[in-house]
Amino acid sequence: MTYRNERGLTWGLVTPALLLLVLFNVFPLLYNLALSFTNAELVGDGARFVGGANYARVFSDPLYSGALRRTALFVCCAVGLELVLGFAFALALKREFRGKALVLTLALVPMMLSPAVMGLYWGLILNGNYGVLNQVLGELGLAQPQWLTDRGLKFWSILLIDVWMWTPFMALVSLAGLQSIPPHIYEAAEIDRAGAWTVFRRITLPLVAPLLGLAVLLRATDALKQFDLVMATTGPNDGATQTLSTLLYQVVFRDGKVGLGSAYACVVLVVVIALATVFTRYLDRLKGAEAR
Amino acid sequence: MRLVRWLVLVAGLSFAALPLLWMGLSSLKSREDAIRPHLNFVPALGAPADPHSFEFEATGTAYAHLSEVHAGAQASFWSHLWSSVVIGVLSTLASVALGTACALGFSRLEIRAAKDWLFFVLSTRFMPPLAVVVPVLLMYRTLDLQGTHLGLALLYTVFNLSLATWLMKGFLDEIPRAYEEAALVDGYTRAQALWRVVLPEARTGIAVTAVFCLISAWNEYGFAMTLNSSGAVTVPAYFAGLQGNIEGMPWPQIAAGALLFVAPIVVFTWLARAHLLRGITFGTVKQ
Repeated sequence: MTYRNERGLTWGLVTPALLLLVLFNVFPLLYNLALSFTNAELVGDGARFVGGANYARVFSDPLYSGALRRTALFVCCAVGLELVLGFAFALALKREFRGKALVLTLALVPMMLSPAVMGLYWGLILNGNYGVLNQVLGELGLAQPQWLTDRGLKFWSILLIDVWMWTPFMALVSLAGLQSIPPHIYEAAEIDRAGAWTVFRRITLPLVAPLLGLAVLLRATDALKQFDLVMATTGPNDGATQTLSTLLYQVVFRDGKVGLGSAYACVVLVVVIALATVFTRYLDRLKGAEAR
Repeated sequence: MRLVRWLVLVAGLSFAALPLLWMGLSSLKSREDAIRPHLNFVPALGAPADPHSFEFEATGTAYAHLSEVHAGAQASFWSHLWSSVVIGVLSTLASVALGTACALGFSRLEIRAAKDWLFFVLSTRFMPPLAVVVPVLLMYRTLDLQGTHLGLALLYTVFNLSLATWLMKGFLDEIPRAYEEAALVDGYTRAQALWRVVLPEARTGIAVTAVFCLISAWNEYGFAMTLNSSGAVTVPAYFAGLQGNIEGMPWPQIAAGALLFVAPIVVFTWLARAHLLRGITFGTVKQ
């Protein structure tokens, strides 16, 4: 085994993947950055350098600040609700019982499905006139709102679909956290006659927190990109539900303004990169703690 | 406490499963029954005697009509499903092969700044598709890859590389080094030891990685609808494109198609159930 051979092997194994990633991620990003200083359009050539005009427009555009606020609200509500509901479900699932694997797997199915397909299909459930949700509400003598067309309501309906899809994710991570707590800690607490709430607050929560933090960061970066559900339910140009990604789609593909869209994308990216950096740092620290 | 626990379990399970159950029922309806204003959820073999009962006449026409081409679409559900299968399988094979190779390198060989490279690989996963799609679109126009199976498969391969590399690295790190050291003593070269000793040990990991790559390619929508709006349209892009259909939504066919589309995923979820946590956290959390 010679050292020279090993270097060749390393190169052969690692470079194809890294090269592809650079070609399809780093290069487009730089290209995007360049485009954002031009007035390029989707059809036709003749892009001109326009300096920071696109950025000036992004920051003065009420559409952008609206989408930014809406996306932030969506991320906070979605991640918060999913965390609470998922954690509650995990607490209920903690003890062993017959058929647990089946229950768990069934409950986890939504997170594996296609958001675009399920978003479209949820339109049938939430339809104001013939949707099953309103039919059931009607049978119970309750109000039957127009879930997906009412201006004040559709944002929350999309949030509901997101909660349906991603609560399982939080439940699965929470369950892993709960099951990793050694039983002897609980036994010790029992001997000390600690109350249920004290046990939860002083033992369960602190020990699960690192894992929950990881789940929250992962979900947040994902929710920040929210695109599929909005496209499949209300479309890209609905003022009440427009997120950063759908606004970007509208600007580039419907209005054809590539230059302006690229500026939007760059601003979005700054936020994404910031979150991703937090995530990788967090992961690094978590792994360091594990190794110790 | 026991009661509360069971209530939470039943509520959670119903919330997750009822929409899918409803999908199955809706796929058996005629369009009239699907958009009837009153509740009907009991499938019956004949037409119900009382039109205001909870019964509806079960029919398989929605499945038969899946070969229909709806307004606003260019092909039937089956041809879109075929595109999804071709693109999903091609990209899964490629990303698992490239990702496994990359993970082997990072797991077993000396690489300078390995941690930084690995985090770079992971960070590509956080990229919103819409932020890189314009340059890719322009690139694909030049290379004539827009609207082709190959183009989208290539893009998904790259998109899934981060997942494949991280998942495989997790699995490979668990294989004891003693195995390959023994092989080296027996006169294997380093490459032979990796290929004949380490890789066979990683069979489960490779299968799990393939399942997650396939699911992620199968479900992807952003790239699919922006790059392949004209040819090789995958099912998610086809379905979402039906939204706001001028003929009215063909709900039973959508339910039938969606059911056929998600059924393999449900099967794969069951098969990979012991490794779901790893899959969704990029191998960073082990069960």
